[in-house]
Amino acid sequence: MFRFEHVYQGVLQDINFTIEKQDKVILFGPSGAGKSTLLFLLNRLNDPDQGDIYFNGKPIEEHSITALRKQVGLVLQAPNLFPGTVLDNIKYGPSLFGDWEEQQGKKLLDYVQLPSDYLERDVDQLSGGEKQRVSLARTLANSPEVLLLDEPTSALDYRTAEEIEEVLECLMEEHKLTMLMVTHNLNQARRLGNRGLFISDGQIVEDGKIPDMLDHPKTEELGKFLEQ
Amino acid sequence: MEPEISNQSLFFLIIFVIVPLALSYYYQLGVSKNVIWSTVRGTVQLFAIGYILTFLFDLPARYGIPFMLTVMIIIATFHARQKGKGLPYVGFILFGGLLAIEVGVLSLWLLFDMIQFKPSEVIPMSGMVIGNSMTAMGLALERMKNEFKENNGRLLASLSLGAEPKQASHLIVQNTLHASLIPNVDRLKTIGLVQLPGMMTGLILGGVSPVMAIKYQLVISLSIFSSVSLSAMFITLCMYRYFFNKNKQLLQTDEEIRSSRS
Repeated sequence: MFRFEHVYQGVLQDINFTIEKQDKVILFGPSGAGKSTLLFLLNRLNDPDQGDIYFNGKPIEEHSITALRKQVGLVLQAPNLFPGTVLDNIKYGPSLFGDWEEQQGKKLLDYVQLPSDYLERDVDQLSGGEKQRVSLARTLANSPEVLLLDEPTSALDYRTAEEIEEVLECLMEEHKLTMLMVTHNLNQARRLGNRGLFISDGQIVEDGKIPDMLDHPKTEELGKFLEQ
Repeated sequence: MEPEISNQSLFFLIIFVIVPLALSYYYQLGVSKNVIWSTVRGTVQLFAIGYILTFLFDLPARYGIPFMLTVMIIIATFHARQKGKGLPYVGFILFGGLLAIEVGVLSLWLLFDMIQFKPSEVIPMSGMVIGNSMTAMGLALERMKNEFKENNGRLLASLSLGAEPKQASHLIVQNTLHASLIPNVDRLKTIGLVQLPGMMTGLILGGVSPVMAIKYQLVISLSIFSSVSLSAMFITLCMYRYFFNKNKQLLQTDEEIRSSRS
Protein backbone atom coordinates (compact mmCIF):
# COMPACT_ATOMS: atom_id res chain seq x y z
CA MET A 1 0.00 0.00 0.00
CA PHE A 2 2.81 2.40 0.96
CA ARG A 3 6.43 2.06 -0.05
CA PHE A 4 9.25 4.29 1.14
CA GLU A 5 12.48 4.30 -0.85
CA HIS A 6 15.49 6.16 0.54
CA VAL A 7 13.35 8.90 2.06
CA TYR A 8 15.00 11.85 3.79
CA GLN A 9 13.05 14.63 5.52
CA GLY A 10 14.26 16.73 8.44
CA VAL A 11 15.55 14.28 11.03
CA LEU A 12 14.53 11.24 8.96
CA GLN A 13 17.49 9.56 7.26
CA ASP A 14 17.26 7.00 4.48
CA ILE A 15 13.90 5.49 5.41
CA ASN A 16 12.92 2.29 3.59
CA PHE A 17 9.86 0.20 4.35
CA THR A 18 6.65 -1.17 2.90
CA ILE A 19 3.20 -1.24 4.43
CA GLU A 20 0.67 -3.79 3.30
CA LYS A 21 -3.10 -3.44 3.34
CA GLN A 22 -4.60 -3.91 6.81
CA ASP A 23 -1.23 -3.73 8.55
CA LYS A 24 -1.51 -2.29 12.03
CA VAL A 25 1.81 -0.59 12.46
CA ILE A 26 3.00 0.95 15.69
CA LEU A 27 5.69 3.62 15.37
CA PHE A 28 7.61 4.06 18.57
CA GLY A 29 10.87 5.45 19.77
CA PRO A 30 12.34 8.37 21.70
CA SER A 31 10.89 11.89 21.37
CA GLY A 32 12.19 13.83 18.39
CA ALA A 33 13.07 10.65 16.47
CA GLY A 34 10.89 11.67 13.51
CA LYS A 35 7.76 9.57 14.11
CA SER A 36 5.25 12.39 13.57
CA THR A 37 7.22 13.63 10.56
CA LEU A 38 6.79 10.20 9.04
CA LEU A 39 3.00 10.34 9.49
CA PHE A 40 2.87 13.80 7.92
CA LEU A 41 4.67 12.43 4.84
CA LEU A 42 1.95 9.82 4.35
CA ASN A 43 -0.82 12.42 4.41
CA ARG A 44 1.28 14.84 2.36
CA LEU A 45 1.21 17.51 5.02
CA ASN A 46 4.90 17.40 4.27
CA ASP A 47 7.05 16.19 1.36
CA PRO A 48 10.39 14.38 1.49
CA ASP A 49 13.57 16.35 0.83
CA GLN A 50 14.84 13.31 -1.03
CA GLY A 51 13.60 9.84 -1.97
CA ASP A 52 10.32 8.37 -3.20
CA ILE A 53 7.07 7.40 -1.57
CA TYR A 54 4.58 5.18 -3.41
CA PHE A 55 0.90 4.85 -2.57
CA ASN A 56 -1.02 1.98 -4.15
CA GLY A 57 1.84 1.46 -6.62
CA LYS A 58 1.91 5.05 -7.87
CA PRO A 59 4.33 7.80 -6.78
CA ILE A 60 2.55 9.75 -4.05
CA GLU A 61 2.91 13.06 -5.90
CA GLU A 62 0.90 11.69 -8.84
CA HIS A 63 -2.20 11.35 -6.64
CA SER A 64 -4.47 14.37 -6.26
CA ILE A 65 -3.44 15.88 -2.91
CA THR A 66 -6.93 16.42 -1.55
CA ALA A 67 -8.16 13.00 -2.70
CA LEU A 68 -5.13 11.35 -1.09
CA ARG A 69 -5.76 13.19 2.18
CA LYS A 70 -9.34 11.95 2.12
CA GLN A 71 -8.14 8.36 1.69
CA VAL A 72 -5.40 8.65 4.28
CA GLY A 73 -7.02 10.09 7.42
CA LEU A 74 -4.99 11.64 10.21
CA VAL A 75 -5.91 12.03 13.88
CA LEU A 76 -3.61 14.37 15.77
CA GLN A 77 -2.57 14.32 19.40
CA ALA A 78 -4.85 17.26 20.28
CA PRO A 79 -8.42 17.02 18.94
CA ASN A 80 -8.20 20.46 17.25
CA LEU A 81 -11.96 20.65 16.79
CA PHE A 82 -13.46 23.50 14.78
CA PRO A 83 -15.74 25.95 16.62
CA GLY A 84 -19.39 24.90 16.42
CA THR A 85 -21.30 21.71 17.08
CA VAL A 86 -20.23 18.08 16.92
CA LEU A 87 -22.22 17.78 13.69
CA ASP A 88 -20.37 20.76 12.15
CA ASN A 89 -17.12 18.94 12.84
CA ILE A 90 -18.19 15.53 11.64
CA LYS A 91 -19.59 16.71 8.35
CA TYR A 92 -16.61 18.98 7.60
CA GLY A 93 -14.60 16.45 5.56
CA PRO A 94 -17.44 14.94 3.50
CA SER A 95 -18.89 18.42 2.82
CA LEU A 96 -15.61 19.42 1.18
CA PHE A 97 -16.20 16.73 -1.41
CA GLY A 98 -19.97 17.23 -1.57
CA ASP A 99 -20.84 13.81 -0.24
CA TRP A 100 -22.33 14.39 3.16
CA GLU A 101 -25.60 12.65 3.99
CA GLU A 102 -27.50 13.54 7.14
CA GLN A 103 -27.99 9.92 8.29
CA GLN A 104 -24.19 9.47 8.50
CA GLY A 105 -24.01 11.60 11.67
CA LYS A 106 -25.61 9.09 14.03
CA LYS A 107 -23.69 6.20 12.53
CA LEU A 108 -20.36 7.97 13.02
CA LEU A 109 -21.12 8.79 16.64
CA ASP A 110 -22.07 5.16 17.09
CA TYR A 111 -18.63 4.10 15.76
CA VAL A 112 -16.90 6.18 18.42
CA GLN A 113 -19.42 5.17 21.07
CA LEU A 114 -21.04 8.53 21.69
CA PRO A 115 -24.83 8.96 22.06
CA SER A 116 -26.57 10.42 19.02
CA ASP A 117 -27.94 13.43 20.93
CA TYR A 118 -24.35 14.71 20.99
CA LEU A 119 -24.68 15.82 17.37
CA GLU A 120 -26.09 19.22 18.28
CA ARG A 121 -23.82 19.73 21.27
CA ASP A 122 -21.28 22.55 21.19
CA VAL A 123 -17.74 21.18 21.14
CA ASP A 124 -16.77 23.52 24.00
CA GLN A 125 -19.05 21.49 26.30
CA LEU A 126 -17.22 18.19 25.69
CA SER A 127 -14.66 16.50 27.93
CA GLY A 128 -11.15 15.72 26.66
CA GLY A 129 -12.01 12.11 25.86
CA GLU A 130 -15.24 13.09 24.09
CA LYS A 131 -13.37 15.65 22.01
CA GLN A 132 -10.88 13.02 20.89
CA ARG A 133 -13.74 10.71 19.92
CA VAL A 134 -15.30 13.49 17.85
CA SER A 135 -11.93 14.09 16.23
CA LEU A 136 -11.77 10.38 15.38
CA ALA A 137 -15.33 10.43 14.02
CA ARG A 138 -14.47 13.49 11.93
CA THR A 139 -11.61 11.62 10.28
CA LEU A 140 -13.71 8.47 9.82
CA ALA A 141 -16.44 10.52 8.14
CA ASN A 142 -14.22 10.66 5.04
CA SER A 143 -14.26 6.82 4.91
CA PRO A 144 -10.45 6.58 4.77
CA GLU A 145 -8.60 3.40 3.78
CA VAL A 146 -5.69 4.27 6.04
CA LEU A 147 -5.84 5.74 9.52
CA LEU A 148 -2.83 7.64 10.84
CA LEU A 149 -2.87 8.26 14.58
CA ASP A 150 -0.36 10.60 16.17
CA GLU A 151 -0.41 9.79 19.88
CA PRO A 152 -4.20 10.13 20.05
CA THR A 153 -4.44 9.25 23.74
CA SER A 154 -1.33 10.87 25.18
CA ALA A 155 -3.23 13.90 26.47
CA LEU A 156 -5.90 11.77 28.15
CA ASP A 157 -6.06 10.09 31.54
CA TYR A 158 -5.49 6.34 31.80
CA ARG A 159 -9.17 5.39 31.93
CA THR A 160 -10.21 7.58 28.98
CA ALA A 161 -7.21 6.39 26.97
CA GLU A 162 -8.35 2.82 27.49
CA GLU A 163 -11.83 3.68 26.27
CA ILE A 164 -10.42 5.23 23.10
CA GLU A 165 -8.26 2.12 22.58
CA GLU A 166 -11.38 0.01 22.77
CA VAL A 167 -13.07 2.21 20.17
CA LEU A 168 -10.03 1.89 17.90
CA GLU A 169 -9.89 -1.88 18.33
CA CYS A 170 -13.53 -2.23 17.23
CA LEU A 171 -13.02 0.15 14.30
CA MET A 172 -10.02 -1.72 12.95
CA GLU A 173 -11.89 -4.96 13.15
CA GLU A 174 -15.08 -3.65 11.59
CA HIS A 175 -13.67 -1.47 8.80
CA LYS A 176 -10.57 -3.47 7.85
CA LEU A 177 -8.50 -0.32 8.01
CA THR A 178 -4.76 -0.03 7.57
CA MET A 179 -3.34 1.77 10.57
CA LEU A 180 -0.14 3.56 11.51
CA MET A 181 -0.02 4.78 15.05
CA VAL A 182 2.57 6.71 17.00
CA THR A 183 2.46 5.86 20.68
CA HIS A 184 4.68 5.87 23.74
CA ASN A 185 2.37 3.48 25.51
CA LEU A 186 3.70 -0.06 25.04
CA ASN A 187 0.55 -1.71 26.38
CA GLN A 188 -1.38 0.16 23.76
CA ALA A 189 1.11 -1.04 21.15
CA ARG A 190 0.52 -4.65 22.19
CA ARG A 191 -3.22 -4.24 22.15
CA LEU A 192 -3.61 -2.45 18.82
CA GLY A 193 -0.60 -3.32 16.66
CA ASN A 194 0.56 -6.38 14.73
CA ARG A 195 3.78 -4.81 13.49
CA GLY A 196 6.25 -2.41 15.03
CA LEU A 197 8.72 0.09 13.66
CA PHE A 198 11.24 1.28 16.21
CA ILE A 199 12.61 4.66 15.14
CA SER A 200 15.59 6.31 16.73
CA ASP A 201 17.65 9.29 15.54
CA GLY A 202 15.69 9.48 12.32
CA GLN A 203 16.30 5.87 11.31
CA ILE A 204 14.30 2.67 11.46
CA VAL A 205 16.34 0.60 13.86
CA GLU A 206 14.05 -2.40 14.11
CA ASP A 207 11.07 -3.60 12.10
CA GLY A 208 9.20 -6.67 13.29
CA LYS A 209 6.13 -8.32 14.69
CA ILE A 210 4.44 -7.19 17.86
CA PRO A 211 4.64 -8.61 20.52
CA ASP A 212 7.92 -10.42 19.52
CA MET A 213 9.71 -7.12 19.14
CA LEU A 214 8.73 -5.94 22.60
CA ASP A 215 9.49 -9.25 24.31
CA HIS A 216 12.72 -10.12 22.47
CA PRO A 217 14.37 -6.96 21.10
CA LYS A 218 17.08 -7.76 18.55
CA THR A 219 19.02 -4.53 18.86
CA GLU A 220 20.72 -3.04 21.88
CA GLU A 221 19.02 0.31 21.22
CA LEU A 222 15.51 -1.13 21.43
CA GLY A 223 16.48 -3.13 24.49
CA LYS A 224 17.63 0.03 26.25
CA PHE A 225 14.50 1.93 25.16
CA LEU A 226 12.22 -0.80 26.53
CA GLU A 227 14.04 -0.80 29.86
CA GLN A 228 13.41 2.91 30.42
CA MET B 1 -11.98 87.29 10.97
CA GLU B 2 -9.78 84.23 10.78
CA PRO B 3 -8.99 82.86 14.21
CA GLU B 4 -5.30 82.93 14.95
CA ILE B 5 -3.07 81.98 17.86
CA SER B 6 -0.34 84.55 18.37
CA ASN B 7 3.27 83.44 18.81
CA GLN B 8 3.17 84.82 22.31
CA SER B 9 0.15 82.66 23.18
CA LEU B 10 1.83 79.68 21.57
CA PHE B 11 4.84 80.20 23.81
CA PHE B 12 2.69 79.58 26.89
CA LEU B 13 2.12 76.03 25.61
CA ILE B 14 5.34 75.37 27.45
CA ILE B 15 3.19 75.00 30.57
CA PHE B 16 1.73 71.83 29.09
CA VAL B 17 5.26 70.47 28.79
CA ILE B 18 6.36 71.57 32.23
CA VAL B 19 3.61 69.51 33.89
CA PRO B 20 4.84 66.07 32.70
CA LEU B 21 8.44 67.23 33.18
CA ALA B 22 7.75 68.13 36.79
CA LEU B 23 5.95 64.81 37.32
CA SER B 24 8.86 62.92 35.83
CA TYR B 25 11.32 64.78 38.04
CA TYR B 26 9.25 64.41 41.21
CA TYR B 27 8.56 60.68 40.80
CA GLN B 28 11.99 59.99 39.27
CA LEU B 29 10.46 58.42 36.18
CA GLY B 30 13.55 59.14 34.14
CA VAL B 31 11.58 60.29 31.09
CA SER B 32 12.46 64.01 31.22
CA LYS B 33 14.89 63.74 28.32
CA ASN B 34 12.33 61.89 26.29
CA VAL B 35 9.61 64.45 27.03
CA ILE B 36 11.83 67.35 25.94
CA TRP B 37 13.06 65.56 22.83
CA SER B 38 9.53 64.49 21.79
CA THR B 39 8.18 68.00 22.28
CA VAL B 40 10.95 69.64 20.27
CA ARG B 41 10.75 67.00 17.55
CA GLY B 42 6.94 67.18 17.34
CA THR B 43 7.00 70.98 17.14
CA VAL B 44 9.67 71.05 14.43
CA GLN B 45 7.86 68.31 12.47
CA LEU B 46 4.54 70.16 12.61
CA PHE B 47 6.03 73.51 11.56
CA ALA B 48 7.94 71.78 8.75
CA ILE B 49 4.80 70.07 7.49
CA GLY B 50 3.00 73.42 7.78
CA TYR B 51 5.52 75.03 5.44
CA ILE B 52 5.49 72.02 3.08
CA LEU B 53 1.68 72.13 2.94
CA THR B 54 1.74 75.88 2.26
CA PHE B 55 4.15 75.20 -0.60
CA LEU B 56 2.05 72.32 -1.96
CA PHE B 57 -1.21 74.24 -1.69
CA ASP B 58 0.30 76.92 -3.90
CA LEU B 59 1.30 74.39 -6.56
CA PRO B 60 -1.07 73.70 -9.46
CA ALA B 61 -3.39 70.86 -8.38
CA ARG B 62 -2.31 68.50 -11.17
CA TYR B 63 1.27 68.38 -9.85
CA GLY B 64 0.88 68.95 -6.14
CA ILE B 65 -1.86 66.37 -5.50
CA PRO B 66 -0.33 63.33 -7.26
CA PHE B 67 3.08 64.17 -5.78
CA MET B 68 1.87 64.41 -2.20
CA LEU B 69 -0.45 61.39 -2.48
CA THR B 70 2.42 59.27 -3.82
CA VAL B 71 4.66 60.35 -0.97
CA MET B 72 1.94 59.58 1.58
CA ILE B 73 1.22 56.14 0.11
CA ILE B 74 4.92 55.22 -0.01
CA ILE B 75 5.45 56.23 3.61
CA ALA B 76 2.28 54.37 4.66
CA THR B 77 3.47 51.28 2.76
CA PHE B 78 6.82 51.24 4.55
CA HIS B 79 5.15 51.72 7.89
CA ALA B 80 2.53 48.97 7.44
CA ARG B 81 5.17 46.62 6.00
CA GLN B 82 6.80 46.36 9.42
CA LYS B 83 3.78 44.39 10.63
CA GLY B 84 3.97 41.97 7.74
CA LYS B 85 7.71 41.36 7.92
CA GLY B 86 8.73 38.12 6.29
CA LEU B 87 5.66 37.80 4.07
CA PRO B 88 6.49 37.72 0.38
CA TYR B 89 5.45 40.66 -1.84
CA VAL B 90 3.86 42.38 1.15
CA GLY B 91 5.26 45.79 0.14
CA PHE B 92 3.88 45.63 -3.41
CA ILE B 93 0.51 44.39 -2.21
CA LEU B 94 0.25 47.13 0.43
CA PHE B 95 1.21 49.79 -2.08
CA GLY B 96 -1.27 48.48 -4.64
CA GLY B 97 -4.05 48.25 -2.08
CA LEU B 98 -3.50 51.73 -0.65
CA LEU B 99 -3.28 53.22 -4.13
CA ALA B 100 -6.47 51.51 -5.33
CA ILE B 101 -8.39 52.54 -2.22
CA GLU B 102 -7.21 56.15 -2.39
CA VAL B 103 -7.99 56.43 -6.10
CA GLY B 104 -11.43 54.87 -5.55
CA VAL B 105 -12.35 57.14 -2.63
CA LEU B 106 -11.01 60.27 -4.31
CA SER B 107 -12.90 59.51 -7.52
CA LEU B 108 -16.16 59.19 -5.58
CA TRP B 109 -15.55 62.44 -3.71
CA LEU B 110 -14.89 64.29 -6.94
CA LEU B 111 -17.62 62.56 -8.93
CA PHE B 112 -20.31 63.49 -6.43
CA ASP B 113 -18.90 66.94 -5.86
CA MET B 114 -18.18 66.42 -2.18
CA ILE B 115 -14.84 68.17 -2.39
CA GLN B 116 -12.96 70.13 -5.01
CA PHE B 117 -9.77 69.06 -6.76
CA LYS B 118 -7.66 71.50 -4.75
CA PRO B 119 -4.58 70.50 -2.74
CA SER B 120 -6.01 72.20 0.36
CA GLU B 121 -9.02 69.85 0.26
CA VAL B 122 -7.69 66.66 -1.31
CA ILE B 123 -4.45 66.33 0.70
CA PRO B 124 -5.81 66.54 4.28
CA MET B 125 -8.85 64.38 3.44
CA SER B 126 -6.73 61.79 1.62
CA GLY B 127 -4.22 61.81 4.45
CA MET B 128 -6.93 60.63 6.81
CA VAL B 129 -8.06 57.86 4.47
CA ILE B 130 -4.52 56.66 3.75
CA GLY B 131 -3.47 56.85 7.41
CA ASN B 132 -6.47 54.88 8.63
CA SER B 133 -6.13 52.31 5.84
CA MET B 134 -2.47 51.89 6.71
CA THR B 135 -3.31 51.19 10.35
CA ALA B 136 -6.07 48.77 9.34
CA MET B 137 -3.77 46.85 6.98
CA GLY B 138 -1.00 46.70 9.57
CA LEU B 139 -3.35 45.42 12.25
CA ALA B 140 -4.89 42.86 9.90
CA LEU B 141 -1.42 41.55 8.96
CA GLU B 142 -0.36 41.27 12.57
CA ARG B 143 -3.60 39.61 13.58
CA MET B 144 -3.46 37.16 10.68
CA LYS B 145 0.08 36.06 11.58
CA ASN B 146 -1.03 35.42 15.16
CA GLU B 147 -4.15 33.57 14.02
CA PHE B 148 -2.05 31.27 11.84
CA LYS B 149 0.21 30.51 14.79
CA GLU B 150 -2.60 29.97 17.27
CA ASN B 151 -4.67 27.79 14.94
CA ASN B 152 -1.81 25.67 13.65
CA GLY B 153 -3.44 22.43 14.84
CA ARG B 154 -6.84 23.27 13.38
CA LEU B 155 -5.30 24.20 10.06
CA LEU B 156 -3.40 20.90 9.92
CA ALA B 157 -6.59 19.03 10.85
CA SER B 158 -8.53 20.82 8.17
CA LEU B 159 -5.89 20.24 5.46
CA SER B 160 -5.53 16.60 6.49
CA LEU B 161 -9.26 16.14 5.88
CA GLY B 162 -8.83 17.32 2.29
CA ALA B 163 -9.54 21.05 2.56
CA GLU B 164 -8.05 23.49 0.06
CA PRO B 165 -5.93 26.25 1.67
CA LYS B 166 -8.78 28.67 1.07
CA GLN B 167 -11.24 26.43 2.92
CA ALA B 168 -8.77 25.70 5.70
CA SER B 169 -8.08 29.40 6.30
CA HIS B 170 -11.76 30.37 6.30
CA LEU B 171 -11.86 30.62 10.10
CA ILE B 172 -8.68 32.68 10.18
CA VAL B 173 -9.86 35.10 7.53
CA GLN B 174 -13.15 35.42 9.41
CA ASN B 175 -11.44 36.11 12.77
CA THR B 176 -9.02 38.60 11.22
CA LEU B 177 -11.76 40.56 9.49
CA HIS B 178 -13.95 40.48 12.57
CA ALA B 179 -11.15 41.85 14.74
CA SER B 180 -10.35 44.56 12.19
CA LEU B 181 -13.92 45.71 11.64
CA ILE B 182 -15.43 45.66 15.12
CA PRO B 183 -13.51 48.67 16.57
CA ASN B 184 -14.37 50.53 13.40
CA VAL B 185 -18.09 49.85 13.79
CA ASP B 186 -17.94 50.80 17.47
CA ARG B 187 -16.17 54.06 16.69
CA LEU B 188 -18.88 55.00 14.20
CA LYS B 189 -21.60 54.20 16.74
CA THR B 190 -20.27 56.61 19.38
CA ILE B 191 -19.08 59.33 17.03
CA GLY B 192 -19.91 62.81 18.36
CA LEU B 193 -21.20 61.44 21.68
CA VAL B 194 -17.94 60.86 23.50
CA GLN B 195 -15.73 63.35 21.73
CA LEU B 196 -16.12 65.58 18.74
CA PRO B 197 -14.08 64.19 15.86
CA GLY B 198 -10.83 66.05 15.11
CA MET B 199 -11.80 67.30 11.70
CA MET B 200 -15.11 68.68 12.90
CA THR B 201 -13.41 70.41 15.83
CA GLY B 202 -10.89 71.95 13.46
CA LEU B 203 -13.57 73.27 11.11
CA ILE B 204 -15.63 74.74 13.95
CA LEU B 205 -12.53 76.47 15.36
CA GLY B 206 -11.83 77.71 11.85
CA GLY B 207 -15.18 79.50 11.86
CA VAL B 208 -17.29 77.02 9.86
CA SER B 209 -20.88 76.48 11.08
CA PRO B 210 -21.36 73.21 13.06
CA VAL B 211 -23.85 71.82 10.51
CA MET B 212 -21.43 72.38 7.65
CA ALA B 213 -18.64 70.86 9.79
CA ILE B 214 -20.82 67.81 10.38
CA LYS B 215 -21.36 67.36 6.65
CA TYR B 216 -17.60 67.27 6.08
CA GLN B 217 -17.18 64.98 9.07
CA LEU B 218 -19.78 62.59 7.65
CA VAL B 219 -17.98 62.49 4.32
CA ILE B 220 -14.67 61.67 5.97
CA SER B 221 -16.04 59.30 8.63
CA LEU B 222 -17.95 57.17 6.16
CA SER B 223 -15.08 57.26 3.68
CA ILE B 224 -12.71 56.07 6.41
CA PHE B 225 -15.20 53.41 7.53
CA SER B 226 -15.47 52.02 4.04
CA SER B 227 -11.77 52.26 3.17
CA VAL B 228 -10.69 50.67 6.46
CA SER B 229 -13.07 47.75 5.88
CA LEU B 230 -11.86 47.34 2.32
CA SER B 231 -8.20 47.58 3.39
CA ALA B 232 -8.52 44.83 5.98
CA MET B 233 -10.41 42.61 3.56
CA PHE B 234 -8.00 43.25 0.70
CA ILE B 235 -4.82 42.54 2.65
CA THR B 236 -6.26 39.46 4.38
CA LEU B 237 -7.57 37.90 1.18
CA CYS B 238 -4.33 38.67 -0.67
CA MET B 239 -1.97 37.42 2.00
CA TYR B 240 -3.46 34.24 3.50
CA ARG B 241 -2.31 32.16 0.52
CA TYR B 242 1.35 32.86 1.29
CA PHE B 243 1.04 30.73 4.42
CA PHE B 244 0.75 27.64 2.19
CA ASN B 245 2.96 26.20 -0.52
CA LYS B 246 1.84 24.95 -3.90
CA ASN B 247 1.32 21.44 -2.51
CA LYS B 248 -1.34 22.74 -0.13
CA GLN B 249 0.97 22.35 2.84
CA LEU B 250 1.05 24.76 5.76
CA LEU B 251 4.30 26.69 6.06
CA GLN B 252 5.26 26.56 9.70
CA THR B 253 8.08 29.05 10.08
CA ASP B 254 8.77 32.59 8.89
CA GLU B 255 11.80 31.17 7.08
CA GLU B 256 9.62 28.72 5.12
CA ILE B 257 7.15 31.47 4.24
CA ARG B 258 9.94 33.78 3.07
CA SER B 259 11.65 31.17 0.92
CA SER B 260 8.46 29.65 -0.50
CA ARG B 261 8.17 32.20 -3.28
CA SER B 262 11.82 32.80 -4.03
